[in-house]
Amino acid sequence: MQSDAEVVIETRNLTKVYRDFWGRQKVRALKALDLEIRRGEVFGLLGPNGSGKTTTIKLLLGLLFPTAGQALVFGREATDVTKNERIGYLPEESYLYRFLTAEETLNFYGRLFKISPMVRRQRVADLIEMVGLSWAKRRQLKEYSKGMTRRIGLAQALINDPELILLDEPTSGLDPIGTREMKDLILRLRDEGKTIVMCSHLLADVQDVCDRIAILYQGELKELGRVDSLLKVQDVTEMKATGLSDDVRDQIQQLVARHNGTVLSWGNPTTTLEELFVKIIRESQEHPGRRVQDTLREQDNQQVQETRQANV
Amino acid sequence: MILGMVLENEIQPFFDWLPRAAMGWAILVSMLALAGIVLSWLVLALRGDPWSALAAIKRAVIYGVQDLFGLSMRRTLALAWLAVKESIRRRVVVVAAVFVVVLLFAGWFLDPSSANPARLYLSFVLTSSSYLVLLLALFLSTLSLPADIKNRTIYTIVTKPVRASEIVLGRIIGFVAIGTALLMIMAALSYVFVVRGLNHTHEVALAGLEPEAGASLTNGKTGAAGRWKGSTAKVQQHRHEVRVDASGTVWVEYDHGHRHRLSLAGKWPPPAGSRVVVETGPPEGLLVARVPVYGKLRFLDRNGKPTDKGVNIGEEWNYRSYIEGGTMATAVWTFDNVTEQRFRRNDFPRGLPVEMTISVFRSYKGDIDNGIPGTLLVRNPRTGLEAEIQIFRAKKLTGDVHEIPWRFRMPNGGEKDLLRDFVADGKLEILLRCLEPGQYFGAAEPDVWLRASDASFAWNFFQGYFGIWSQMVLVIGFGVMFSTLLSGPIAMLATLGTVSIGLFSDFIHQLSAGKALGGGPVESMIRIVRQDNLSTDLTGVQAVAAHVIDKVVQKGLAVVAAAVPDLGRFGYADFIADGFKIPADLIARQTAIMLGFLLPLLIVGYILLRNREVAQ
Repeated sequence: MQSDAEVVIETRNLTKVYRDFWGRQKVRALKALDLEIRRGEVFGLLGPNGSGKTTTIKLLLGLLFPTAGQALVFGREATDVTKNERIGYLPEESYLYRFLTAEETLNFYGRLFKISPMVRRQRVADLIEMVGLSWAKRRQLKEYSKGMTRRIGLAQALINDPELILLDEPTSGLDPIGTREMKDLILRLRDEGKTIVMCSHLLADVQDVCDRIAILYQGELKELGRVDSLLKVQDVTEMKATGLSDDVRDQIQQLVARHNGTVLSWGNPTTTLEELFVKIIRESQEHPGRRVQDTLREQDNQQVQETRQANV
Repeated sequence: MILGMVLENEIQPFFDWLPRAAMGWAILVSMLALAGIVLSWLVLALRGDPWSALAAIKRAVIYGVQDLFGLSMRRTLALAWLAVKESIRRRVVVVAAVFVVVLLFAGWFLDPSSANPARLYLSFVLTSSSYLVLLLALFLSTLSLPADIKNRTIYTIVTKPVRASEIVLGRIIGFVAIGTALLMIMAALSYVFVVRGLNHTHEVALAGLEPEAGASLTNGKTGAAGRWKGSTAKVQQHRHEVRVDASGTVWVEYDHGHRHRLSLAGKWPPPAGSRVVVETGPPEGLLVARVPVYGKLRFLDRNGKPTDKGVNIGEEWNYRSYIEGGTMATAVWTFDNVTEQRFRRNDFPRGLPVEMTISVFRSYKGDIDNGIPGTLLVRNPRTGLEAEIQIFRAKKLTGDVHEIPWRFRMPNGGEKDLLRDFVADGKLEILLRCLEPGQYFGAAEPDVWLRASDASFAWNFFQGYFGIWSQMVLVIGFGVMFSTLLSGPIAMLATLGTVSIGLFSDFIHQLSAGKALGGGPVESMIRIVRQDNLSTDLTGVQAVAAHVIDKVVQKGLAVVAAAVPDLGRFGYADFIADGFKIPADLIARQTAIMLGFLLPLLIVGYILLRNREVAQ
């Protein structure tokens, strides 16, 4: 990803306050979010329930109106429907018309775009083929399993060959194979130059596909950056070796054995995203209102050193 | 006996009505728009600051204009298709089945032997179809959009390049399409039901015909000459009189609002001792669309001098005005444009039909059994030439059909032609006088009319369903508009309220104008609680308070009454059931009114949906 690529999504000071009927403030769902997402990125929005990630997506789609600040998609206000020509959206659950068949569903959504009937029919057939539902395309969606509805939901989001795809919990409700296929598809779409924004609880999935992530907690941005750099623990050495002579290996093993351990690899170890996520959330709970990055990093290093010392 | 229609409000020609109505509409709509803008500014300003509120309204207006130009028929029709599909999958077709069941049961209960069976059948099918369709329209239109918002299926719609206006319009079109299809099925079923339910023939046993008293028999019992009479067999609780005149022409007389055709070609005279039985044709005149030609009514007083009105006999309803019997008092109808093209001699061989409904007021009992004698005359408005059409007797409220002969035999010998000698510049006068002193006849302008050549009944029937269709479109429009803002059940209640106000529009108008007997809502409530009668004055503090509150409520009611269409006016059932052609001016006006309501509904629905956070 080049940093000079076109900005697809931009939020400035984006704030959403939910109010009750009388206009009294109920919840501050999103506080002054500043984001920039560029063409070709796979961007992950992470956060526990109620952190504001779905609110962010809804604001970007114009399903909600910002209380303050701006959400721009392709440089246009998010409430401008014309931007939707270039957007595909897979909602959290597949909110589709259960009385339609798969084919009717895709044809219907296709007709909402400026696509010629011939192209539309071809695309409908291709998408059904792609999500592997050819055998059930004439059945009403109410007979579909959750996984199948998910797939047709995805096909629906891609009917207009969108440049920007927003996926809300794309892998929820899918079996391991389905999850794998979904992830492969996301990477394939990225390779085609599309921009993808997804939000998810399933951290392993995010870790696998996202280039950059933002972690939200209680409506505030806590962490933002490239996945690989965020997960790298800088001053820990990790070793992964093979073909060492028995002598050397013995020495190392003896050395490690003296400290009750086994050496597997050598290099820069990475933590898992899950670990990072839990740490950020805990830190936020302890020190509310503070950007986590710096403190966390210090703490992190400290912890690693402590472990090492203990090991040594 | 078929009475004429009561027409209290004259129907203005459409193009006379349109300019003023359109102007009023434009003013009302712009005032509404202005009020809406000011109100939303106030609300926004209270929540934020005045300037950002102004900016927000400006933005909304710009979006509105953009969305108007971005309106796509392709997307609208896709959404309409969805609404149709939804309705079908919700099994609305069941309504058609319900209608069939209703008709099946109705067959048991509707009595074809009643005095005017056509009226019974027609008003039944029209009323039941309209209730069923309006109920269906109410359910479909109000529940659909809220369900989409609740199930969040709307998310997948509004994240496509779909304008809010397309969602509203698409739904209206879709539901109207499904309603139209159902209504067409109902219309076809009703038509068959009515025609079949009323269809019957009578048998006539020729041997049962007897020579009319006083007629001479030239050929003995089986002779052809002379006048014969008898009656048909009894079917559907009635029989018709049959006459065969000297030339062998058969007359089957009117009874129960219809007659039959009977041909005796080759069977008359019947050989002696024959048992020939002849079947009549189907009923005629039951299902008709009469075209009344109304005249202008003026009165002459007892000395024959022109006067504004006749005598007031103390009736509260001053629809009819009365003329005194045995004097020069006359009701004079002047008819325009009486021409050969309009009243074709072929359609009415026996004479130009003039239909009359008059009410009788007796100042003393007199001869109850025979009724009050009256006379009907024609007069040439220029020359004053008069000729009597018929002397008749009328009991209470009487409907009667007379035929003005095409040629009059004048008392002084000579013959006069109706169109040539009595019509001047297309004008013809018909005069009504009461002949018995001290008794009165009452009449209103639509009570005496000439009958032009009939229009097609099937087409009239179809237009009646068009009236129901217009009502349905309005209900769908209101339903969809309310459902953009309210949840399903609440939208349904709101629409139901609107429909009720629309059906009782006359009363609401009266109430808001303070013309309703017993005062406004609060005053009426006090009267009900205190069991006061309607005409005494309320006294005391509560009376003053009630008046003040009522004044405010009346203003509110006036606004509501103006915002809700008079749905009752779309029910053309009375015209069809009474066998009248629905005036084209009325249909044109009501259709214009329907469109006049639909457009603002569409705009309001758009604004509400566009500025709503569907995800909340």
